[in-house]
Amino acid sequence: MKLLRVELTRFRWRRAIVLMLVAGALLTAVIGGTTLWETRPVTAEDRAAAEAQAAAEAASPQFERELAACERRPRRYMGPGATAADCEQMMPQADWFLYRSELSLAEENRDSGIGVVFILAALMIIAGTTFAGADWASGSMSNQLLFEPRRARIWLAKAGAVFVGALGVSAVILTAFWVTLYLVAEARGISTGATVQEAIRWTAGRGVVLAAFGAVGGYALTMLLRHTVGTLAVMFAYAVGGEILIASLPVEGIGRWSLGNNVFAWLFDGHEYYDPSLPCVNNGPEYCNQMALISLADGAWYLGVMLLVLGGASFLLFRRRDIP
Amino acid sequence: MLGPRQIRGIRMSDLVIEATGLRKEFRTRRGRHVVAVHDLDLAVPAGGVHGFLGPNGSGKTTTIRMLLGLARASRGEMRLFGQAVPRHLPDVMSRVGAVVEQPKFVPTFSGRKNLTLLARSIGLPKERVDSALAQVGLAGRDKERYRGYSLGMKQRLAIAATLLKNPDLLILDEPTNGLDPAGIRDIRTMIRELGESGVTVLLSSHILAEVQQVCDSVSIIGSGRLLASGKVDELVGSSGSTTRVGISDPTAAVGHLERAGYSVTRENGHLLVDGATRADEITRVLAAQELYVHELTPVRADLESVFLQLTKDDALKADLGAASGLDSQAGGAA
Repeated sequence: MKLLRVELTRFRWRRAIVLMLVAGALLTAVIGGTTLWETRPVTAEDRAAAEAQAAAEAASPQFERELAACERRPRRYMGPGATAADCEQMMPQADWFLYRSELSLAEENRDSGIGVVFILAALMIIAGTTFAGADWASGSMSNQLLFEPRRARIWLAKAGAVFVGALGVSAVILTAFWVTLYLVAEARGISTGATVQEAIRWTAGRGVVLAAFGAVGGYALTMLLRHTVGTLAVMFAYAVGGEILIASLPVEGIGRWSLGNNVFAWLFDGHEYYDPSLPCVNNGPEYCNQMALISLADGAWYLGVMLLVLGGASFLLFRRRDIP
Repeated sequence: MLGPRQIRGIRMSDLVIEATGLRKEFRTRRGRHVVAVHDLDLAVPAGGVHGFLGPNGSGKTTTIRMLLGLARASRGEMRLFGQAVPRHLPDVMSRVGAVVEQPKFVPTFSGRKNLTLLARSIGLPKERVDSALAQVGLAGRDKERYRGYSLGMKQRLAIAATLLKNPDLLILDEPTNGLDPAGIRDIRTMIRELGESGVTVLLSSHILAEVQQVCDSVSIIGSGRLLASGKVDELVGSSGSTTRVGISDPTAAVGHLERAGYSVTRENGHLLVDGATRADEITRVLAAQELYVHELTPVRADLESVFLQLTKDDALKADLGAASGLDSQAGGAA
C-alpha cells in the first residue's frame, strides 16, 4: 500500500498526465455542451421563423403549381382513394423547418456517450504509457529499485496506480457528463425511464473499466518496450494498418479476432459486424448474409486474455532484464 | 602486491562486499559477444573507504550494477553483508545507499519531491529528507525543479538520496563528476568523514589522485578483471623499490651494480636503481669497489605509477588475446 500511494502521487504529479486528465475533462465538456446545444428546446423566435419560412414556401409559385397539379390528380400524388381535399396535407408546416430533435438520453447512450468513452480510453492509454515511459526516459526506474529492489512489487504498484488513477478519473468525468445530461433533460421536462438509466449505468461502467484496463495495457506495453514513443508508434501502426492486416489474413471468421470489433462488443453489449471472410449464407435470391456477432462475454474474454498476455510478458521481462 | 581476496588483516567474515568469479556477458545489437566483467573477485572490508579503480570501460559500473540487482550476472556469486545477492537483496538493501553513473530523478519534480517519494516508498519519515538535504548543502534549493539543477546540484541530490537510509554501505560511482573544485573538496571530505564514522564506502573512480587521497584500500580492475587489491599504502609500497643514487663516477657504478643484479638507469647525472629492498645493499656493493655515494634517496611510487603499470600489463595481455582470437571483452582483453 505504501508503494501504491507513492506511485499514485507520482501519477497525479506528472505534468503530461495532468494534461491528459484536463484534456479528457475539456473534451467531455465540449461534447456534452454540443449535445445540449443541438437538442435545445425550440424558442418562440425559432417557431416564428419556422412559420414564416412555411408561409413563404406555401406562397412560392413552384409550390402553387404542385398543389394545383395535386388537386387535378389527387390519387397520383396522395395515393389510391385520395380526393382534392387531401392535397391540403402538402401545405408546408412550421415543424418541417424546425430541425432540432429533442434530447434523448437513450440515443446519447449509443452516440455521444460512447464518443466520450473512446476519448477517455485513448487519453488514459496515453497517460499509462507516459507514466511508465517517463521513468525509463529519466532513468529514475533504477533509482526506485535501489530503494525497493523487489521488481514485482514495483511493477504491480505502478500498474495499480495507473489502474486506480484512470478508473477514478474516467468515473468522475463520465459521471459528471451523464449527471449533467440527466439534470438538463429533467429541467427540459424530458423524463428518462428506469430502463434507459440502467442501460446508461452499464455502458458507462463498461466504459470506465475499458479506460482503466486500457491505461494498464498502455503501461504494460511501455514497460516492455521501455519507451513512450515506441509504444505510441506500435499503437499508431496498429490503428493504421493492424486492422487491415488482420482482415486480409486468409482465415475464415478473422473478424472475431479484430481488436476493434471486440472493443465494440464490450461497449455495446455485443456487436454485429460484416465479415467478408465468412462463407456466404443465402437468405434469399441475390442476397448474401456475411454478418457475424461477438457477444459481450466473448468480447470480454478476448480483451481480458490480450491484457493478461501483454501484462504477463511485461511483468516477467521487467523482472529478468537489466535496468539501464 | 596483493592478489584477489588477499587484503591483509581482514577476515572474510569482515567483508561487506564479496564477489567471486563474477562474470557479465551480453550481446550487442549487432550480435557481437561482449564480456564486460571477466571472472572478477572482489572483497571490500567493513569500514573505511575502499576505492574501485579502473580505466573507463573496465567494468566498474557493470560490477556495481550487478551487486545492486540492476543487472543480472552471467555467472559468479555475490554477497552483501554476508547475504547472497540478488536473492537476499531486499533484506540488505535498507543498509545500502548507492549512486550509479549519473544521478537519475524525475526532471519535473523538485529535488525535495524526488527525495520525499523515495523516502516514502520505504516508510522513512519526512525529517530524514530534511537532514539529507542539509547534509549535502541543498536545503535552500530543494524546492526548485530537478531539471533546473546544475550537474553539481544533481550529484549532491543523488548523494542526499543515498544518505536517506543512513546506510552502512555507500556505493558511489564517480561521485565528483561535474562538480566544481569546492564541490569536489566537500564531497571528498564527506566521504572521508563517512568512512571514519564506520560507514563502508565503495568509491568507484578513474581519478587516481581521488582514490589515493580518500581511500584506505583499493581494488584495481582492468578489462573486467581484478588486477590488484589491498591497502593503498601497501600497493604503493609494493610497486617495486627504486633508489636514487648520487655518485661521483656513475659509469663505473652502473657496471658494478648491474653485475650485482640490479637494474640501473641514468637520470640527470644520478642513477635510478631498481630491485634493492634496502638502501644499504647498494652502499655495500659500491663501497666494496671504493665508490662512495653522496646521495641515497628512496623514490616513493604513487598510485598512478602502480595503476599505469598494472593497466599497461593488462593492455598487453588484451593485445595478445585479440591476436590469438580469444573472446572479445569490453576493454578488449581476452
